[in-house]
Amino acid sequence: MIVGNNRRVVVTGLGLVCALGGNVNECWNAAVNGVSGIRKVNSVNTDNCYANVGAEVDIPSKELSDENFDRSSLLCIKAAGEALNDAGYTVNDSNSDKIGVIVGNCVGGAASIDVYYTAEKNGAAVAEDVLKMPAAAIANNVAKHFGLNGVTANVVNACAAGTISLAYAADLIRAGKADAFVAGGSDSFTSLAFAGFHALHALDADGCSPFNRSGGITLGEGAGVLIIESYEHAKARGAKIYCEVLGSGVSSDAHHITAPDPEGKGQMLAISRAVANSGLEPSDIDYINAHGTGTAKNDEAEFLSLHTIFDGNDHLSVSSTKSMTGHCLGAAGSIEAVLTVKAVCEDVIPPTIGYTEENLETLKEKAGDFDFVPNTKREKKVNFAASNSFAFGGNNASIVFAKEPREIPDRTNSDRIFVTGIGELLGKPRCEISSDDYKEHGIKMAFYRKLDRFSQLQLISGMRALADAGITVSDNNAADIGIIIGTADGPLTEIVGFQKNVIENGTASGSAFSFPNTVYNAAGGYFSIFAGIKGYNVTNANSVQAGLQSLCYAADVLRNGDEKIMVASGTDENTDITGYLYNTLGLLKDGLGEGSVSLILENEHSASARGAKKYAELAGWACTHKSVDFGKITGSESALKAVCEEACRAAGISAKDIEAVCGFANGVPAVDELEKNAYNELFGDIPVVDVKSEIGESRAAASTEQAAAAAKLIAEGKYKYVLAASFGVGGQYSAVVLKKAE
Amino acid sequence: MNTEICEKIKAMLVENLRIPEDELEFDSELFGDDIGLDSIDSIEIIAGIDSLFGVQMTGAARENFKSIETLAKYVEEHRGE
Repeated sequence: MIVGNNRRVVVTGLGLVCALGGNVNECWNAAVNGVSGIRKVNSVNTDNCYANVGAEVDIPSKELSDENFDRSSLLCIKAAGEALNDAGYTVNDSNSDKIGVIVGNCVGGAASIDVYYTAEKNGAAVAEDVLKMPAAAIANNVAKHFGLNGVTANVVNACAAGTISLAYAADLIRAGKADAFVAGGSDSFTSLAFAGFHALHALDADGCSPFNRSGGITLGEGAGVLIIESYEHAKARGAKIYCEVLGSGVSSDAHHITAPDPEGKGQMLAISRAVANSGLEPSDIDYINAHGTGTAKNDEAEFLSLHTIFDGNDHLSVSSTKSMTGHCLGAAGSIEAVLTVKAVCEDVIPPTIGYTEENLETLKEKAGDFDFVPNTKREKKVNFAASNSFAFGGNNASIVFAKEPREIPDRTNSDRIFVTGIGELLGKPRCEISSDDYKEHGIKMAFYRKLDRFSQLQLISGMRALADAGITVSDNNAADIGIIIGTADGPLTEIVGFQKNVIENGTASGSAFSFPNTVYNAAGGYFSIFAGIKGYNVTNANSVQAGLQSLCYAADVLRNGDEKIMVASGTDENTDITGYLYNTLGLLKDGLGEGSVSLILENEHSASARGAKKYAELAGWACTHKSVDFGKITGSESALKAVCEEACRAAGISAKDIEAVCGFANGVPAVDELEKNAYNELFGDIPVVDVKSEIGESRAAASTEQAAAAAKLIAEGKYKYVLAASFGVGGQYSAVVLKKAE
Repeated sequence: MNTEICEKIKAMLVENLRIPEDELEFDSELFGDDIGLDSIDSIEIIAGIDSLFGVQMTGAARENFKSIETLAKYVEEHRGE
C-alpha cells in the first residue's frame, strides 16, 4: 500500500527493565516462557499487611545509573540508554533539538519522599533531595543525561500514562514537531503505592491472576522505552525498523475516581478510537495486550469491552503480561508496548500465566472465541496488535502497532482555534475557597469533600471556564471535549501527608480516603466526572511552564482532529508543605501563590456553530527545550528565544509584530534577568506585563494566567498580537501567540 | 446515646473524610443523600473506629454504618471484646 511518508511513524529502538530482567532480551525470553517476576517484597516493609508480594527489579539504584536521581528517573535512564543504543541513534549538536523525551509516570519521586521524611524525623534530611520529589523531574533528567534538547513532557495519568506518552509522541511527530522521541514510562516500587492499594484491599495476597481468579493486583516496577521516529528520519539514517505505530485513542470514563465504569463505555471509546484512527476494523486485530490488572472490576469491565468490540473476530489473542511483570503503574503501558512490538516482530504472543486445569474451564466460558493465551505462548502471525491501559481517574488509552506500512486516516483539522472561555481562581499566598464557590456550579458536599486542595482548585477553575464559554456538556458533545492539565508540583500536599502517615504508623495504615488523590491525574479525573467530559484527558507535570504547555498540547489535540473543544488548565497549590519544601530549597520565600486557570480552546467550526464569544485566536504555539540540570534555568536562554520565534513563525508573523508580552518574571534574579535579556533582543522596547507581581509564583496556574491575561488584553482591543512565554526548571519553554479574533 | 463516643466519631469523620463539621449531625444519614459516603469511606470508617476504640467493624452489618449514633451504639456494645 502507498503510504504518505510524512505521516509514517515507526519504532526503531526498544529498552526494558522490569522484574523479568534488566534488558529487552531477558524480559522477552522470560515473558514468552511464562516466567513470573512476582516474589516477596524487599524494598517496602510489609509488616501487618495482608499481602507481601511484588514484582521488583533486582538491580540496586546505583547500578541503574551513576546519576543522583530518584529511582523512577534511574529506571527510565537504564531503559532509555538501551533503546537509544538499540536504535543506533547518535545525538549531536545538529540534531539534539529534534529528539525529545516523553515519560509516563504515576508515583513520581514517592520513593524519595519516603527517604526524605524518614530522614527528617532524625534531623538528617538532605535539602537537595527535594528536587527528586516531583514527577516533573523525570523527563528532564533523562533528556539531560543523554543530551537531548527536544520537547519534554511527563504524562502523569497513573496506570494509562505509559500508553498515552507513546500516543502523544507519535502525534507530535506526525505534526512535524520532532524527528523522534524517547517515549515510554517509568515507575519505582514505593511504600506509597503499596500502602495505598493495600488500604483499598486491591492487592492479591497470592500474586495477581488476571482474567482468572481476579483477586487483586500485584505491584511491580520498571521502565519501558521506545524510540518513536518519523519514517523519513529513520530511513535517512539507515535505521532498523521494528514496526509501524498506527493510531491511538484516549478517553475518560467520567464515572468514578478509582473504579472503572462497569459498562466499559470509556474503555470502548479509547479502543474504538485507536482502531478507527488506524484505518482498521476490529476484525483486523490479531493480538491485544490487555490492561488485565487482575482486579475483579477491571477484568469484568475489560471482558465486556473486548467482547462488545471484537466478538466476531475469530483470530484474536488476548493476554495480560501483568501476570508476570506485575502492575508497573505509569510504566505498565510502555513495558507492555515493548512486549507488544516484540510480539509483532517475532510472531510470538506471551501468555497470561496462572491458570489451573479448573481455571481453564471457567476461562472457556468467559473468553468465548478469544484466545487468552493461558500459561504458554502462542506462535502465530501478528500483523496488527493493540495495547490497552486504563487508569485511576477513569483515563483510558489504547494504541495500535503494525508489522507492515499502512495508510492511516488523516484527520488533521486546520480550523482556526479560539479562546472562548476563561476560568480563574488565583490567590497569593492562598486562594479563598468557600462553599459558595461550589454551590455556584451545583457541586454538592458529598462530591467536593472528597477533593484534596489540588483537585479543588482544578474543579472550580474548570467549571468557571465552561460556564464562561457557555458550554453545556451533554451526551451529544461529551466525547468531543477533552482536558489537558499542566502542573509543576501536582498534589504534593496529599502525597506528603499520605507518606508521613505511612512512615509514622506503618505500611498497613495507609489511608484509603487519601490514596486516590495522591495520583497527579486525580484532579483531571474529578473534573471530568463532575463535568461529564469523556474525551482526551491528560495531566502533564512539567514545571512552571506546564500551564502554557497545556495550551500547546490542547491545540495539538484539536489540530489532530481528536476533539472539538479542549479545556487547557494550569494548576498548582500552595500549602504549608509547599512552602516548607520551597523554603528548604531557599526559593520563593514570600513569592509563592496558588490557583488554577482554565482556558477553553475551540475550533472555529464549533465556536461559530454555537455563536461563542471569542476572546482571541490562538494563532501560534510552540515548545522548546535546552537541557540543563533540573532545578536550574541558566544556560537555557537559547530555548527561550527559540520558543518565541517558533510561536511567531507558527502564527505567520515575525517577532516585530508582537505588541506586548505577558511575562514570567517571578522575582528570582536568574529567571528575571534571563527573560528581560531575551525579550529586549527579540522584541525591543514593548510593554511586558508582569503577571506574577500580583498573583505570585503560582507556577503552572500563573503560566496559564499569562495566556488568559494576553487574551483579555486583546479582547479589550488594546493589541492585535500578544505573546505569552514561560519557563520550566531544567530548560523547557512554551510560548503562545494570541491574535485579535476576526 | 453515648455523647462522648459520638463526639469522637464525629471528629474522626470530619478529620479523615473532610466532612464539613456544621453539616454533620449525630443522626445524619452517612451513606444516603445527606452526606453521600461510599465504599472507600467505609474502609476509612472501619480503620478509624479500630484506631479510636479498638473495635473491629470488618464484616459488620450495613445498618451499623447508618449514622454516627448507630456507629456509637456498635462501639458501646463491642468495646472490650
